[in-house]
Amino acid sequence: MKDALTKEEVLHVAELARIEISEEELQMYQVKLKTLLNQIEEVTKINDHDSDYLIAPWQEDAILRSDTEGEMLNSKDVLMNAPRKSGNYIEVPVVITNE
Amino acid sequence: MSKYIPTIGIEVHVELKTKTKIFSSSKNGYGSMANSLTNVVDLGYPGTLPTLNEEVINTAIKAAHVLNCKIRKKQHFDRKNYFYPDNPKNYQITEARTPIGYDGYVEIEINNEKKKIEIEEIHIEEDTCKSAHRGKVSLLDFNRAGVPLIEIVSKACIETNEEAKLYLEKLRQLLFYSDISDCKMEEGSMRCDANVSLRKNIADPLGTKCEIKNIGSISNVGIAISKEIERQAKLLDQGESFQEQTRRFDDKLNDTILMRVKETGNDYRYFPEPDIPYVIITDERIEKAISSLPMLPDQRKELYLSRGVSEVNATKIIANRNLSDYLNEFLDTNLNFQVATNLLLGDISGYLNRQEKEINQTELTKEKFIELVKKVEENTLTSKNVKDILDEYLETSQTLDELIQKNGISNITDESLLTEVVDKIILENPDSVKDYQAGKERAIKFLMGQIMKETKGSANPKLVNEILISKLNK
Amino acid sequence: MSKYLDLSLIEINELLKSKKITPTDLVLECFEKIEKNKDLNCFITLDKEGALEKAKSLEDKEIKSLTYGIPIAIKDNIVTKNIKTTAASKMLENFIPIYDADVVKKINDADMIIIGKTNMDEFAMGSSTQTSFFGNTKNPWNKSLVPGGSSGGSAAAVSARLTPIALGSDTGGSIRQPSSFCGIVGLKPTYGRVSRYGLIAFASSLDQIGPMTRNVYENALVLNAICGKSSNDLTSYETNEDFTRLIGKDIEGMKIAIPKFYMSDAIDKEIKDKLNNIIDLLKSKNCTIDYVDIKYIDKAVPLYQIIAMGEASSNLARFDGIRYGYSYENPKDIRDLYFKTRRFGFGNEVKRRIMIGSYLLSGKNATTYYNKAMAIRDDMRNSFLKVYQDYDLIIGPTATTKAYPLGQDLDDAVKAFMDDILTIPVNMAGLPAMSLPIGFSTDHLPIGMQIIAAPFKEAKIYQLASFIEKELNLDLCPKLGGESNE
Repeated sequence: MKDALTKEEVLHVAELARIEISEEELQMYQVKLKTLLNQIEEVTKINDHDSDYLIAPWQEDAILRSDTEGEMLNSKDVLMNAPRKSGNYIEVPVVITNE
Repeated sequence: MSKYIPTIGIEVHVELKTKTKIFSSSKNGYGSMANSLTNVVDLGYPGTLPTLNEEVINTAIKAAHVLNCKIRKKQHFDRKNYFYPDNPKNYQITEARTPIGYDGYVEIEINNEKKKIEIEEIHIEEDTCKSAHRGKVSLLDFNRAGVPLIEIVSKACIETNEEAKLYLEKLRQLLFYSDISDCKMEEGSMRCDANVSLRKNIADPLGTKCEIKNIGSISNVGIAISKEIERQAKLLDQGESFQEQTRRFDDKLNDTILMRVKETGNDYRYFPEPDIPYVIITDERIEKAISSLPMLPDQRKELYLSRGVSEVNATKIIANRNLSDYLNEFLDTNLNFQVATNLLLGDISGYLNRQEKEINQTELTKEKFIELVKKVEENTLTSKNVKDILDEYLETSQTLDELIQKNGISNITDESLLTEVVDKIILENPDSVKDYQAGKERAIKFLMGQIMKETKGSANPKLVNEILISKLNK
Repeated sequence: MSKYLDLSLIEINELLKSKKITPTDLVLECFEKIEKNKDLNCFITLDKEGALEKAKSLEDKEIKSLTYGIPIAIKDNIVTKNIKTTAASKMLENFIPIYDADVVKKINDADMIIIGKTNMDEFAMGSSTQTSFFGNTKNPWNKSLVPGGSSGGSAAAVSARLTPIALGSDTGGSIRQPSSFCGIVGLKPTYGRVSRYGLIAFASSLDQIGPMTRNVYENALVLNAICGKSSNDLTSYETNEDFTRLIGKDIEGMKIAIPKFYMSDAIDKEIKDKLNNIIDLLKSKNCTIDYVDIKYIDKAVPLYQIIAMGEASSNLARFDGIRYGYSYENPKDIRDLYFKTRRFGFGNEVKRRIMIGSYLLSGKNATTYYNKAMAIRDDMRNSFLKVYQDYDLIIGPTATTKAYPLGQDLDDAVKAFMDDILTIPVNMAGLPAMSLPIGFSTDHLPIGMQIIAAPFKEAKIYQLASFIEKELNLDLCPKLGGESNE
C-alpha cells in the first residue's frame, strides 16, 4: 500500500472541490488523505452485507407537498447577502464566454 | 454524404406546467421581474431542505404514460455535483439512477410509413437559474432555479434530420396536449440537445459522437443535424479522426460551433439525495394521473375521421389545440364536422389571426356555431356571404338571421336569370362538359366555381347546382 | 448578583407567575454571568438587545409553560433570522440569515428567549471546539481543557450556568461528547424527531438537533418544545407525546444491553469503573444486564468517515462566494472566485474533509466506498434494532476519555475521530441517545454515560436517566475562577 497519493490525484480532488492549494498543502494532502484512506480501506473488504439500503436512517416514504404557492422573498432580500449585485441581479465574473 | 449512416439521439428538457417549483413552494412562472419568484430554498441558502411537489410526480407519470414508458414504482433522487454559477447549491437534484419512466416510444409517420422512435428514459430534475452575459460579468436570475423539468432521452435510433424533426414535433404535440408543458421553445420551456455520430456500415460500432446543445427551434434542430452530419462526413472523408465535443447552434451563422472538447467523462460524484426519502408511486396515483389526461392527438384524429372530416382538415385542426378543444365541445351533437372544420380552419382562423384572438374570446357560442354550420351545409350561405358577415357574427350577439336580414343578403334565386348564366358557362367550357360526361365528377366543381364567379358569389349555390346538373344531364 | 438562574425551571416558573421576577430579570442576570465569564468564549454572537425586547414583549403574555421566559443559547450552525449565524467559519463571518430555522420558530413559540449563538467547531467538524474561526472554548471545570465538541460552546455555557438551556447539533457525537466533558445532560434525538430545516448541513443523513440542559427533566421539556413534523423537512416525524411522562417511573426489571465493544480496552479505566457502578445500581433494581454484539460496530468510524465526508463535500459546495458569505475580492475570473473563496473561507479541518469527501465520491469510488458504506450502515442499524426486540435500552460510556488539554491532537484527523467511536454508531443507526453525568474522575472532571434507545423511544431514555440522576445526586456546578475572583 502506498503511503501517499500522487500529486495528480490530489490536484484532481482539489479541482472537484474547487479549493486552491499551495505546494506545501499539496504535499500535506498527499500524505494526510492517504492516511485517512488507509483507515477507511478496511470497509471495502466487507462483503457479507445486504446490498439494499436506506438513503438515511429513515423508513418512511416521502410525503409529497401539495402544489400551492407559498411565501416568496422580495428581490431586496435575495440580494441582501450577495457580495456582488447589479440592479435586481446577483452578479458574478463572466461565465465561460462561449455559452 | 450517403456513404455514412448517421445515428442521432435526442435529449429534450421540458419544463412542467405546475403552479410551484419542484423542491420549494415558490411560483413556477415566466416573464416576471428578475429574482422575484424565489425563496431561500431556491437560492440554496444554508440550512434549507427540499420538499417534493406532488404535481411534479403526477405530471411526470402522465408524461411517462403518453410516451408509452413503463413507470417505476419506487424511486429516489440523486445529487449531481458540479460547480456552476447557475447551479445554486452546486449540486443538482435529479433522478440519475431511478428515472420515473423508461422503455417507451413515440410513433412518427415518415414517407407514409410508421416508425417508432424509442425512448430510453424520462427522469425528473430541477432547472438551473438563468444567466445573462454582459461583458465581463454574468447576471443571475433565480426565478427559473428549481422549476420542475423532465428530461426525455431517446435511444440513438434516429437516422435523419427529418426523423428528428418529426419526432420533436410529435413529442411537442403530445406533451402540449397532455397539459404537461407549454413546450415553448422560444421561452425555453422546451430545449433540445442532439447527439450525432456517423459510421460507414450498420455493422460498425458507433462513430465518435458530438453533442449539439440547446437548439432553439425544431427547424434549427433539423439544420443543426444536417450541418453536423456534413461536418463530420467531411472530416471522415479526409480520413481525419476527431474528438468527442460539445457544440452549439448559432442562429446567425446558421451552423454549429464548438463549445468545448469533452473531458474524459465528467465527474459528477452522484450519490443518493439524503434529504428526500424514497418516493413510492401507488397504482391509485398512476390511475388518477392518467384518467385526468385530456384527449390525445391520435385519439382526436381517429374521432374526426370517423365524423367525416378529411385527413387534411383533421391534421390541421389538431395542430391548433384551441380549435380542436372547441370542436370537441360538439362531439355530442350531429354537427357536420367537415363543414365545421372548413369554417374553423378558413374564415374563422383568418379572423382570429387578424384580431390575435382565441376562439373562446369571441361571441361564437355553441348555438351560434351550430347555426352557422347548418346554413353553410344547406347552401343557404355562400362563402362570400360568410365572409361578409363573419366579423360581426363573431363580435356581437346577433343571430345569423338578424345579420342576413341586416346585410340584405338575398342570393339570386331567379331561376331564369341563373339558367342564363349556366348556359353561358356551359358554352364557354366545352372541355369541362366533356369531362363531366366522361364521368369526371370533379368537372362540376369547376363549372360551379365559374358560375359563382360570374355572379360575384351572389347566386344561391343550391339552386345553381340543381340547374347545372339538369342541363348537363340533358 | 441575583441567582435566579441557578434555580430549577419549576422554581423560576413560580417566581415568574407570582410576579416576583420578570423575564427581563432573567435576561439581565444571564448577560451579567456571560460578561463575567467571557474568558470561556462560549459565544460567537450575543443578542442582548433582541433578548431584552423579547423579554419585555413576554411580560404581557400569559404564562402557559415552564419554558416561558427562559433564556436559551443556540449553536451557531442553526440559522436565526436577523442574528448573525457563522457556523464558526470565516466563510459566514458576517452572514445574516433571512429566515429562521424550524427549531428557532418553535423556541420562540415556547416563549423562550434567545440570548445568543454559541461557539463550535467550524461547520461542526471537530470534537473539541478548537477548529472554530473565533477561537476555542474553555472547559468550565478546568480552563486549560477542551469542552469537547462540536457543540462545545453550548455545553460550556450550560455547564457554567450562563444559560439553563442550549441547543446543539449532533452528527457523530457533537452533543453527547461535550455534554460528557462538561457534566451536563445532552440528548441526540432520533433521526427525524426534530426538523433539520435551518440547521446548516454537515452530513444530512446523520445530523440532528437536540437539547443540552442542566438536568434530565428540563431536557425532556425542551424536547417537547422543539420536536415534531415540519412541512419543510421530508425526514421529520409527527409526534404527539410528552417526553416527561415516564420520568420518575419505576425502572424495576428493565432489560438493558451493553455492546461488548463499549467496554473494550480503548476506554479509560476510570470511565469503565463509573459505568460499572451504574451497572451495579441497575442490578440492585433487578434490571437485566447483558453484553451483546452489534454487527460492524467496530467499523463505525471508517463507515462514518465515508458517509459524513461524502455528504459534507456536497453540502458545503454551496459556499462559493456568489449568493452569500465570504467572497474573495477582485477575482480574475469565475474559476478564481471559486478556488480562492473556498481556499481562504474554509479552515483546514473543513477543507480536509471536503477534499476527502470529494475523493470518496469521485469516479468509481462512489460505488466502492459510499454505496458500500450505506449498505453496511443499514446492516448495523438492523443489528441494533434486533437488540431492541429483547431489551429496553442500550447503555455504555459516552466517550473513551474525559476532557483533555487544549491544543492536543488538534492536527491529528484520525485521533479526532477515535474520540467518537462510541457516539458515531448511534448516528449511523439514527437512534436517540443521551449523555448523562455519572460522576467525576479523580481530578474532578465530569464523566458521562450514554443511554441509547430504539427509534422514537426517547421517553424510555428519560425514564432511566431520571432514576440514575436521582440516585447519584451529583453536584454538577463547576467552581468558576471568574466568580471566586469577584
